[in-house]
Amino acid sequence: MYREVILEHYKHPHNAGTLDTPDISHEETNPLCGDRVRIDLQVADGVITDVRFKGRGCAISQASASLLTDELRGKTLDQVRALGKDDLLDLIGIPLDKNPVRIKCALLPLKTLKAGVYEYLGAQPDETE
Amino acid sequence: MPPFLGGGSMIKTVALQETTYADVPARFEAGTPAIGEAIALGEAVDFLSEIGMDQIAEHEQQLIGYALDRLADVEGLQIYGPLSTDQRGGAISFTLDGIHPHDLAALLDREGVAVRAGHHCCQPLHALLDVPATTRASFYLYNVPEEIDRLVVGLDKARKLFS
Repeated sequence: MYREVILEHYKHPHNAGTLDTPDISHEETNPLCGDRVRIDLQVADGVITDVRFKGRGCAISQASASLLTDELRGKTLDQVRALGKDDLLDLIGIPLDKNPVRIKCALLPLKTLKAGVYEYLGAQPDETE
Repeated sequence: MPPFLGGGSMIKTVALQETTYADVPARFEAGTPAIGEAIALGEAVDFLSEIGMDQIAEHEQQLIGYALDRLADVEGLQIYGPLSTDQRGGAISFTLDGIHPHDLAALLDREGVAVRAGHHCCQPLHALLDVPATTRASFYLYNVPEEIDRLVVGLDKARKLFS
């Protein structure tokens, strides 16, 4: 679970911080363990141009935020909407599907991202998301 | 007081028009009683009485004393609660600098040391201590000092991994 890439992103997170005038800014927490992730996005013509995240929590949640935000520049909001749980698990490369507790840590950044994007688009997430 | 739950053994008579419930406490004890549980509880009491609760408390105190001694040498470890055995039960909560308590629990698990991480049913206290959670080792009758040695080894490994 604590592969080198996870530890590296936890100790030295990419895209750490906040944006001065974000188009989207959303924060989610995991009440069970207190993990917290806020994601700021700059959007132009439906395309993400810049991103930052701020958070506190375990290595899994924070490394996941770092890895996820690395993927976002140049993506359209529709592409973000299409991102699923399996995409994120592939990205972080840890087999967490049989670990119901820690999978919530890993998925928190994706939940934050999608909730922010949905809020911005004025849409509701599907039941499956 | 009307019964809150229907089931076996909580009625006196049932007719088409009217039901009379059993007297208290039976009317509140619908269904099969916890027979197996009561027998198991008796066995557990016998088991503990045979060893002696004083002996068990003494064993826990020895383990806690040893754990406090060993843990004092772990770099970056913060123990919560009294540092003397006489004011403690069989559990020790702690944090290790730079490692989230849940990560620490997962790493210790990998070393074969089972601990709990979280708020331990006292979230306001964790807020007061300004920690997101703590990791907690609990000792009882069946634990031995060698397990505390393993805990210390696990803590050192975790610290090195995250440093």
